[in-house]
Amino acid sequence: MTEEIDKALARQYEAGFVSDVESETFPPGLDEDVIARISARKEEPEWMLEWRLKAYRTWKEMSEPEWAHVDFPKINYQDISYYSAPKSMADKPKSLDEVDPELLRTYEKLGIPLVEQQMLAGVAVDAVFDSVSVVTTFREKLEEAGVIFCPISEAVHKYPDLVKKYLGSVVPQKDNYFAALNCAVFTDGSFVYIPKGVRCPMELSTYFRINEQNTGQFERTLIVADEGSYVSYLEGCTAPQRDENQLHAAVVELVAMDDAEIKYSTVQNWYPGDEEGRGGIYNFVTKRGICHTNAKISWTQVETGSSVTWKYPSCVLKGDNSIGEFYSVALTRAKQQADTGTKMIHLGKNTRSTIISKGISAGRSNNSYRGLVRMNPGADGARNFTQCDSLLIGDQCGAHTFPYVESKNPSAIVEHEATTSKVSDDQLFLCQQRGLDPEKAVSMIVNGFCKEVFKELPMEFAVEAGKLLEISLEGSVG
Amino acid sequence: MSNWLTQALAQYQSSDSTDWLSAAREKSLQQLHNTAWPTRKTENWRYTPLACLERTSVAEPTNDAFTAESIEGLECIEIVFVNGKLVSELTDNIPGVSISLLSESKESAQNLFQKVKPEHHVFGLVNDVLASAGVVIDVDESVVVDTPIRLVHWQNGGESHVRHLVRVGKGASLAVIEEYRGDNPLVATQYAEYQLEDDAKLNHYRFALHTNQAMVVGGSHFNLSDRSELHSTLIGFGSLLSRVDIDINHCGEHAMATQNSVYLLEGKEIFDLHSNVEHTKPNGTTEENIRGIVGDEAKAVFNGRIHIHRHAQKTLAELNNRNLLLTNKAEVNTKPELEIYADDVRCAHGATVAELDTKALYYLRSRGVSEQEARIMLNFGFINELIEQLPLEPLVEWLQGELKRRFNDLRNQIPGVEAV
Repeated sequence: MTEEIDKALARQYEAGFVSDVESETFPPGLDEDVIARISARKEEPEWMLEWRLKAYRTWKEMSEPEWAHVDFPKINYQDISYYSAPKSMADKPKSLDEVDPELLRTYEKLGIPLVEQQMLAGVAVDAVFDSVSVVTTFREKLEEAGVIFCPISEAVHKYPDLVKKYLGSVVPQKDNYFAALNCAVFTDGSFVYIPKGVRCPMELSTYFRINEQNTGQFERTLIVADEGSYVSYLEGCTAPQRDENQLHAAVVELVAMDDAEIKYSTVQNWYPGDEEGRGGIYNFVTKRGICHTNAKISWTQVETGSSVTWKYPSCVLKGDNSIGEFYSVALTRAKQQADTGTKMIHLGKNTRSTIISKGISAGRSNNSYRGLVRMNPGADGARNFTQCDSLLIGDQCGAHTFPYVESKNPSAIVEHEATTSKVSDDQLFLCQQRGLDPEKAVSMIVNGFCKEVFKELPMEFAVEAGKLLEISLEGSVG
Repeated sequence: MSNWLTQALAQYQSSDSTDWLSAAREKSLQQLHNTAWPTRKTENWRYTPLACLERTSVAEPTNDAFTAESIEGLECIEIVFVNGKLVSELTDNIPGVSISLLSESKESAQNLFQKVKPEHHVFGLVNDVLASAGVVIDVDESVVVDTPIRLVHWQNGGESHVRHLVRVGKGASLAVIEEYRGDNPLVATQYAEYQLEDDAKLNHYRFALHTNQAMVVGGSHFNLSDRSELHSTLIGFGSLLSRVDIDINHCGEHAMATQNSVYLLEGKEIFDLHSNVEHTKPNGTTEENIRGIVGDEAKAVFNGRIHIHRHAQKTLAELNNRNLLLTNKAEVNTKPELEIYADDVRCAHGATVAELDTKALYYLRSRGVSEQEARIMLNFGFINELIEQLPLEPLVEWLQGELKRRFNDLRNQIPGVEAV
C-alpha cells in the first residue's frame, strides 16, 4: 500500500511545459521608477499612477505576515520582475487570427480551445497570458445585455468612474502586505460590471496562465453586481513546470449591491513544486466581497496546486438579510502547504453565513483551515454554521484547524464543528467487498467526502474538479 | 517590557535573598529579558489587554485577618495563604504524603520546578522569578489519599506570586483543590505544576473566584505518564484581568484526561482561558467541555488547542466550547484549534455561541413551567450539567451555592426574563 502511495504521489505535474513566446520583460527589481514604467506601459491616467505609488509607499512600511502555518524561504522582492508582456502583443491583435499561433497552441495543450469553448460551453473567456489580456470573446453578446467584461487595464480608460469608485473599496490598499504589493504593481486582470436587474447571460471565465521565468503574477479582479443582478464567475489556472519559486499575489474584490448575487468559483492547479516542494507557486491571494441588503456572495474553491497557499476568500455582510457562503476543497500532497479558509463578518441584521471546508492531506503536506466568524453588536438574529472536515492520507502529513469565533450579539447564533479522520478501514472494506479495487474505492470515498462542495460548482468546473482530485489521489490509499 | 514588569523585577534584583531556586530563577529572568511583552498583536493575548497592570494603582494589603470558609461536609486538609504568605501549619501526619514549603530545598521539588509548565507563558516566567510562597506535595507510590488537599489563597491588595508543585507517585491517587479569592485591586501570579507518574490518578479543581478588581494570571499544568488519569475542573469568575492557562501533556501512553470548565461573567469582567493539550504518545484520550454564560459588559476569551504529534496514533480527543451571551455589550471570543500530524486518530471540536435550546424550552413549557422559570432553569442547567457529575458530593453542593450566588446577579439579564 505504501508503495502505491509513493508511486501515485511521485506523479509528475501534467500541465508542465514551457511555451517559448518571446516576451518583453522588465529586469528584476521594484522601486517607484518600475511602478511608473508599468503605469506608462499601460498608458494609465495620472490618478492611477498616484494610487499605485501610494500603495507602494504603504507596502514599504508594512512587514510580511508570519502568522500562517506555512514555512518557506524568505522572498526577495527585488529579485522579481514585475512586468512581462508577450512581445507580439505590442501591435494588439484585433481577432483570433491575429493572435500569436504559439499562444493559441499553449491554450490548446491546456485543453482550452478558445473557439470550441465559445461554441460549446457558451463561456466568454478573458484569457490572461502572463500579465496582458490577449483575447476577449463574446464581448458583443455581453454588451447587448449591458454587461461590461473586460481587462481591468481597459476599464481604467473606458470606465474610470466605476474603477475609481470601487477599486480598493473592498480590499483597502493597506489591508495586508500582499494586497498592498498588488495595488502597487498589478498589471492586469478582469473587470466586470453587471447593470441593475440584469442576469448575466453566460458564465464568465478567466483562465490564468503564468508563463515567464521569474515574473510575479499580480492579478486584479473587480466585480460589481448592481442592484438585483446576478453573475457567476469562473476562475481556473494551471502553469508550466519551472525551477524557481514564483510569487502570485492576486486581489479579487466583489461588490454585491442590494438584492444582487455573485457566485465566484475557482479551480486552482498551479505548479505545486517537486517532491521536495521546490519550484512551486507561492499563492498569496486576498479575496473579499461586500454584500449590501439582501445580497448574496458565494465562494467555491477547489485548491490542488501551488507549493504555498495563503488564501481567505471573505464576505462582509453589511446589509440586512445578506448571505455569505464559502465552500472549499483543499488537497495537498508531497510537500505542499496550504493555509486557507474564510472570514465572515456579520454587520447587518438577519445575516447568514455557511462555511463548508474539506481538507485532504497526503504525502508530507500540511493543510490548515483558518477562519473567522464575527458577529458585531448590530447583527441581530444573525446565523452562522461552520463545518470543517479533514482527511489524512498517510502518517507523514498534517491537518490543522484554526477557527476564530467572535460574538457580540446575544441573538446571533454561531456554530462551529470540526472533525479529523482518515479513510476508514470499514468503508474501504465494504467497497472492496463489493468488488471495487482499492483505488476506485478511495476515489469514491474522497469524492463523497467532498460532495457538499462539488455540488456548488458550475457543471464544467465540477467535472474538472472531480478529475483533478482523482488524478491527484490516484492509488494514494489502498 | 512593561513598567509593571520592570518594577516587579527591580524588586527581585534588589533583594539579595538566595535559595535553591536561584539558578532556575536566573534562567527565567534571562528568558524574560529576551521575550517581547504581549500586545494586542501577540496571538495569545489577542483579546485580553494588559494595560490595566500599568493603569491601576494597587495599595499594599490592609488586613491579614482571614478565615477560610469551610466546605460543609467535606473533610479536607486546608493550607491557607493570605496575601501571598502561608498562615497555616503544614501537616505531616498523612502516611505516604509529604507536604513542604517551596523555599525548602527538596530534591523532588527540584525535579518539578519549571519541568511541567511550558516556557512560553510570559507570566509563568515572571512567576519563576518572583514565586515566594507555595507548597511541594509528594505522594509516594501506591498511596491512595482519601482526604482532598485544599489550597486556599486570599489576598486583599498588593502583589503575590505563588507556586505549587505536586507529584503523584506510581499508582497513587490524590485530590487537590486550588482556590483563589481576593478583594480590592491586587496583582497575583498563581501557578501549579503536577507530575502524574505511571498509573497515578489526580482529581484537580481550580476555582478562580476573585472580585472584579483583581488582576490575576496563572495556570495549572500537568504531565501525564503511562496510564495515568486526570480529571480537572475549573471555575472562573472574571475580573479586571483574569487569565488561566491549562496545559495537559500526554507524555505517556494510554493516559486519560478530562477537563471541564465553567465561567460566569458579569460587570466589565474579563476571563481568558487558554487550554493546550499535547498528545506526544499513542493511545491517549482527552475530553474537554467548556461552558460559559456572559452578561453585562463582560468578555470571555477561550482558546483551546489540541496538538497531536507525529507518532501519537490512536488518539481520541474532543473539545467542546459552548457559550450563552446575555446582552448586547457582552462578548465571546472562542478559538478551538486542532493541529494534527498523525492519521489514525479521531479528533473533533466544536464551538457555539447561541441562545437556549428552544426544544428544551418548549418541553418545560408543555410541563407547565412558566417561561421565565424555564429560561432560568435552562440557563443554570447549562453550567450545572458539568458540576453535578463531580465525584465529591459536599463539594458539588458548595460549588452550586457559589455558582447560584453569582448566577442570581445575572438571571435578570437572560433574554425573556424580566427583572424582579
